[in-house]
Amino acid sequence: MASSTTSNVYIHVIEDVINKVREEFINNGGPGESVLTELQGLWEMKMMQAGAILGPIERSSAPKATPGVTPVHDLNVPYEGTEEYETPTADMLFPPTPLQTPMPTPLPGMAQTPLPGNAQTPLPGTAQTPLPGTADSSLYNIPTGGTPITPNEYSSVNDSGGAPEVKPGPGRPSPYMQPPSPWLNQRPPLDVNVAYVEGREEGERGASHQPMTQDFFMMSAGKRKRDEFASQYPNGGYIPQQDGAGDTISNELKVGQGSNTQHNTTIAGAEMSLQGGRAVSRISQLDGPIPDPYDDVLSTPNIYNYQGVVNEDYNIVNTPAPNDIQAATPAAVTQNDTVDDDEDEPLNEDDDDELDDVDQGEDLNTTHLVLAQFDKVTRTKSRWKCTLKDGIMRINNKDILFNKATGEFEF
Amino acid sequence: MATFELYRRSTIGMCLTETLDEMVSNGILSPELAIQVLVQFDKSMTEALESQVKSKVSIKGHLHTYRFCDNVWTFILQDAQFKSDECQETVSRVKIVACDSKLLTQ
Repeated sequence: MASSTTSNVYIHVIEDVINKVREEFINNGGPGESVLTELQGLWEMKMMQAGAILGPIERSSAPKATPGVTPVHDLNVPYEGTEEYETPTADMLFPPTPLQTPMPTPLPGMAQTPLPGNAQTPLPGTAQTPLPGTADSSLYNIPTGGTPITPNEYSSVNDSGGAPEVKPGPGRPSPYMQPPSPWLNQRPPLDVNVAYVEGREEGERGASHQPMTQDFFMMSAGKRKRDEFASQYPNGGYIPQQDGAGDTISNELKVGQGSNTQHNTTIAGAEMSLQGGRAVSRISQLDGPIPDPYDDVLSTPNIYNYQGVVNEDYNIVNTPAPNDIQAATPAAVTQNDTVDDDEDEPLNEDDDDELDDVDQGEDLNTTHLVLAQFDKVTRTKSRWKCTLKDGIMRINNKDILFNKATGEFEF
Repeated sequence: MATFELYRRSTIGMCLTETLDEMVSNGILSPELAIQVLVQFDKSMTEALESQVKSKVSIKGHLHTYRFCDNVWTFILQDAQFKSDECQETVSRVKIVACDSKLLTQ
């Protein structure tokens, strides 16, 4: 359980964040105050469940959070233009009257049917919720490449660069002008009442949502090696990774830093030497994806794709292009050399991995973690000293914050 | 201004990330806005740690692994002991991730 001071600091941080983003939520077509309140409520609820803050939370001012906020709208209710979820766009573009007639039809089942196939969380019901503006757009065949629900919104970070765009079909007045995204240009205008489902499917088929979404997750994992988002994936779901040690990479494989952890690059290296080893004999290696909670699905399928595609001679050494995988390089080099010599020699592949594997098998609660900034790290012989500051520690299921810390470690 | 995304891995950061993920999956929130929230969280958390927290901790233990890459130190300690004014904790294994404090002030 958190101490009262830690809890207070957390509560303060939550309120601070919410207050600072309130403007973004309210202005200019943002989701609105209720979504913000919901965010705060859910956040605090999770914190309480994790034991990080002590409830009940006393508030002196500002929006009250109700932990238990109803997250989604009832779908069976015909569309009503509620303020919170309605973008000004939808209102301005589409007069309410024609909306209501065709609306209920595509709404319940049709509109979101293609989604589950594409989006990762297939809740046709809840997926429906987001934007009546969305349904509007689909009605009138706004070729946003599907609804501006999760999958497309991720790509819209780069593509359309803004809130979900609503592009009216030809002849519709649009006071709300936006540059069309590439998605929009691809699609011919379709008749409003026809082929809504097919249109959406076409739009979404080409997009690979899975990696883009998970790339978002990856980004939130905290290690940002590159600033790119999803735009760099050439093929659906396939993230090329380049490891420089001993593997010939065809030039078209660039390192996409969708998965930024060193684990994954090590895996790429391991898997590639595995590939080359096939020419000689199969080398079983125990490296495997070491997923963070948010890395999970991402790493595995990409590696498997990788095996099918990459076909290189492991004997040729390539210069590693990106700097940040050099940490993984030495491990891969070692493995390659061993393979070269004699496959019967102990590969020593377990030497460094044991502890890591043990860690992965444990419940996350027991993974003790300290996140901080360092001022200085020094070493004398085998004696290490460091000064840290502004840190969060998660130890023995407790959260402890510190302003300064000194460490003395014996290597 | 650059922020350390480091604190997103903490309890509070993970709770926020999960909440945002759910809301984006449900389509209530756009990803751009979610990212803005996370960036704001980075700033608020850093600022709160500087101004609101006053405690000092000392850490001792056996260093099992050290790594310095991209200006980030990662230590894995074994049998570590954490001492502060209020309490003392011992753990068999702990990971310390530390970013360079000078990067923020540049």
